[in-house]
This record gives sequence, structure tokens and C-alpha cells, in this order.
Amino acid sequence: MKVKKFRKFIRENYEGWLFNLPLMIGLLVFTFIPVFSSLYYSFLDTDGFTQSFVGLGNYIRIFTSDRDIGKVVVNTLTYTIISIVLNLVLSYLLALLVNQKIKGVKTFRVIYYLPCIIPLVASGLLWKDIYDPTYGIFNKILTSLGMPTSSFFQEASSSMFSLILMNLWTLGSGMILWLAAFKNIPKQMYESASIEGANRFQRFIYITIPMSTPMIFFNVVTSIINTLQYNGTLTFAPRDGRGVDDSLYMYAVKIYWEAFERGKLGYGSALAWVLLIIVAIITFILFRTSKWVFYGEEY
Amino acid sequence: MSKRNYHDLSINERAIFNQRLFKICIYTAMIIIGIILIFPYFYMVMKSLMSSEEVVGPVKLFPNKLMLSNYVDLFTSNNKYLKAALNSLYIILFNIIAVPLSASIIAFSFAKLKWKGKNLMFALMMSTMMIPPTVTQIPLYIMYTNMGWIDTLLPFTIPNLFGGGAFNIFLIRQFMKGIPKNIEDAARIDGASTFRIYWNIILPLCKPVLIYIMVTIFIVNWGDFYGPLIYMSSSDAPRTLAYVVFLDSTESTAASQMAHMRMAGGVFMTIIPGILFMLFQKQLIEGVTMTGSKG
Repeated sequence: MKVKKFRKFIRENYEGWLFNLPLMIGLLVFTFIPVFSSLYYSFLDTDGFTQSFVGLGNYIRIFTSDRDIGKVVVNTLTYTIISIVLNLVLSYLLALLVNQKIKGVKTFRVIYYLPCIIPLVASGLLWKDIYDPTYGIFNKILTSLGMPTSSFFQEASSSMFSLILMNLWTLGSGMILWLAAFKNIPKQMYESASIEGANRFQRFIYITIPMSTPMIFFNVVTSIINTLQYNGTLTFAPRDGRGVDDSLYMYAVKIYWEAFERGKLGYGSALAWVLLIIVAIITFILFRTSKWVFYGEEY
Repeated sequence: MSKRNYHDLSINERAIFNQRLFKICIYTAMIIIGIILIFPYFYMVMKSLMSSEEVVGPVKLFPNKLMLSNYVDLFTSNNKYLKAALNSLYIILFNIIAVPLSASIIAFSFAKLKWKGKNLMFALMMSTMMIPPTVTQIPLYIMYTNMGWIDTLLPFTIPNLFGGGAFNIFLIRQFMKGIPKNIEDAARIDGASTFRIYWNIILPLCKPVLIYIMVTIFIVNWGDFYGPLIYMSSSDAPRTLAYVVFLDSTESTAASQMAHMRMAGGVFMTIIPGILFMLFQKQLIEGVTMTGSKG
């Protein structure tokens, strides 16, 4: 009897299991085993060949004796907050500009989006050249406009600003999201608001913003997670991505530096786990405080 | 006819005038922003067409003579770029076949089959989207070292035989859920096996989402410099184009020799993504918004 039941159970399920098998293997080998061995490594002092158990030593070092950490955290937070807010606001304005119903507007949308498809290495190569204090074209343009020149990445004080300015080049990706959000807002809402005498500004505050909140929310969550892991400075910043006086030294580059340049794989793993926990906490808080997100009546 | 002042116009004429003025302002703003955004890339292209003397001289925008031969030199002077481009294309070709196939098989099991543990597996899969890649890179590095995969192309191909990430699988599953059930029911009554239903009926219908995934695979793999930096950084390892351009960028300054060749390499890197974007503009933008606004 039991055997029969078991056979039936297998017969009903084996196709699903078989089709899902690649995922089961893949998740186990390339995600779950690595995640848990990463946790294990974080308690070791290891270069991949020799290892010794140090308990919480790596974590204690992160929070007490690592001299870089303060600067790394400040840089990462500064960059994350400023670039996300600036991107959200400016890409909104850009989307507003190309949301007009006039001739040729589609071409402009494509042009604004084009910098976003340029690979990071190519744009790193390019901006490193443009930003060169003596041989770059940026300072040449500034001089010819009678403006003061800058040292860009070659001086600690101007590095972060230059990075944020450089990232405005890819405003187009935010613009695309805003345009999609605009498209999802029913036209009747604006029409009836206009009839009742709402002006442009009021329509923005009471219709556009609330109706775009799901997009804003999703965008903020994913950009925070991505920006905390930003390692693009590796391609263009001086001192192998750390910047002059560590002015561009951010968390992901710190992990790279400790693990793969210094060979401290255990310490790198501990840093990565701290990041994982921070990302989890931020995501949790964002979702718990997401009552302001308006999902419309039908959801 | 004498010039008329704005105040002399009728209300109707004023409205038309205002609208025209508004349009002119909009166009002016759009053009200025467009020029600013295009300028860096334009400069890169111009610099890639300069001669080796011009490029180390004083800063200038236009080359004396367009040296299209730079692009020929890029692939003939030494085989650094050509070899790297072929390696990149090999990785991409592998993944562009492997990921849609494996991801769609897995997605099929989630969207169209009933089996025990489905919800658990789905939750597990979705949870991996929260795990930053920075966490798995170190253990994967150790694992690949033990397997002898370091300084080979294997880390960039083999892991993609297993679905190529939760996100791709999720996208295809969502798409498959939208395919009406009576199509597969009819096939089942006709005696088609589950695999036949997947292969002959469901998979061809998924073409739009599969194209989107293939294009993104191309763009992501083409531009990946960080993977090679970790897994293939020794000097005799195979190089990908992105990694070669990365080395060009980090090992040089604007004034150093061969800047025109570096720029040509950089421009060449943008050409294929550019063409893909132009061809699949609609799918890509819809894809971005599909993943962006309905999350």
C-alpha cells in the first residue's frame, strides 16, 4: 500500500522536479554553499591556502581598529545619498521636458538614454581623459568660458563632486522610469483636476507624485542596494579606485582591496557579511515604512 | 507693415504666440541638454580618429585628418584587442544560448507544472535576489581556485547553465503565466508529452521576453570588467575586451602615448551595445520599465 502511494507521489511530481533540477543544483552550488562558506570564512584568517580560526576577530577589527573604515563609510553614504536624491530629482525634470507632445521628442529621449548603454569601462576611460587637469578637455572648456579650473580626481577635495557630476551623464535611465510612471497615470485624472481648477503645481503634488510612488519606491530600494555596492571607481579613480587620500574609497572597493589585493579573504568575507546585513536592514526598514506608497484602488 | 507689439495682438494671437514661445523654449532646452550629454562621447570618437602626434599635443576637438586607419590598426597592429574581442564573443555566444534555455526550462516548472516543493523553491530563488554579489565573490573565488577554473573562461560560462540568475527566471515565469492554459490543455489531450509542450508550444510563444533577456545578456557580459579582474587577472590568462579596456584605462593617463588607440578601443566597445539598443529599443525600454515600475 505504502509503496503504491509512494509511486503515485513520484509519478505526480517527478516532471516538476526534473524541470526544476538545474535551479536546485545552481542555487546550491553557486549561491547557498558560497553564502554559508562566506560566513564561515569570515571567522577565519585565510589567504585561500592557509587558515587559522580567529572567531569574531575580523568583525572586531572592522568596528574598532580598521583605520580606513570611517572614511569608507562616510564616502559610501555621501555618494549613495547625494547621487540617489540628485538622480531622482534631475531625471524627473528631464522626463518632464521630454514628456511633451511635440515633434522629434522621441529622438531626444533616445539621445538622453544613449550614455546609459556605454559600458562602464569605456565611460571610465573616457572620463579619466576628460577630467585630466592639464591635458583634459574639461578644464580647457572651463578656461575658455572664463571659469576657474578644477583638479577633479587629482585632489581629494574635488574628487567626490567630480564623481557625482560624472554620474549625471546617465540620468537617462531614471528618465525612462519616470516616463513609464507618467504613462501609467490615467489622463482623466489630470483632466478632471484641471476642470476643478488645479494648476500645474497642484496637479504635480496631488496626482503625479502619489501615482508615481510605487516606481519611486522600487527605484530607491534597488538604487540603494546597487549604489552601496558601487565599484565603478576601479576603472578611473587614482590609486586603483581609492582616489587621492582615499577620497573615493568606497565599500565595495574596500572589499575588493582587502580580499584580492591584500589576499585577506577572511577579512573580506567579514566585510561582505556586514554589507549583507546592512542591506537586509535597509530593505526591511524601507518595506516597513512604505505606507506612503500608493498602489491604486484595484490592488 | 510696421512691427506690432505683443500688447496689440488679439487674445487668440497671444495664445498662439505663447505656445510658440513655449515650444521654442522646450526645443532650446532639449537641444542644449542633448549637446551636453552627447559631447563626451563625441569627443571620444574624435580623439579615436586623431594621429599619434595630435593626441599627445595640446587639447583639441577636431583631428586634422580623420584617421580611420586607427580602427584597422586596433585589430592588426597586435592581436590584443582581436583576441580579447573573440573571447568576449565566445562567452556571450555561450550564455546567449545557455541562459534562455535553462532559465525557460526552470520557469516552465514554476509557471506550468504542479509539484511538491514548488512554492518553497520559488521563495528560495526570489530570496537570492537580495544577496549582494559581493558576498558570494570570495567563496566562489576559493571554489574556482580549487577546481582549477581561475585564469580560464569557465567561471563566465558554466554557472550560467543553471538559469543565469533568479531575475531572468522570474521574468520568463511571469510571461509564461500569461499564456492561456487551454493551449497546453489541447496539446495534452492530443497526447503531447510535457517536454513537447514546453519545447513546441510554450517556448516559441516566449520569444519577446527571451529576446529581451538575450540582449541584456549581451550588454552585461560585453561590459563586465569586474569578473575578469577577479577570476582572470594573471598576465597569461585569456582576456576579455572589457578587461583590456579596463587595463588601458587604469594603466594610463590622458597625456600618455597611444591615447588614440585606447579611445578607439573604447569606442569599439560601445558600437555593438549601440546597435543592439537601436534595434531593440522598444523591448529594452519596455523591459526597463517592466522591471522598474511593476516591482
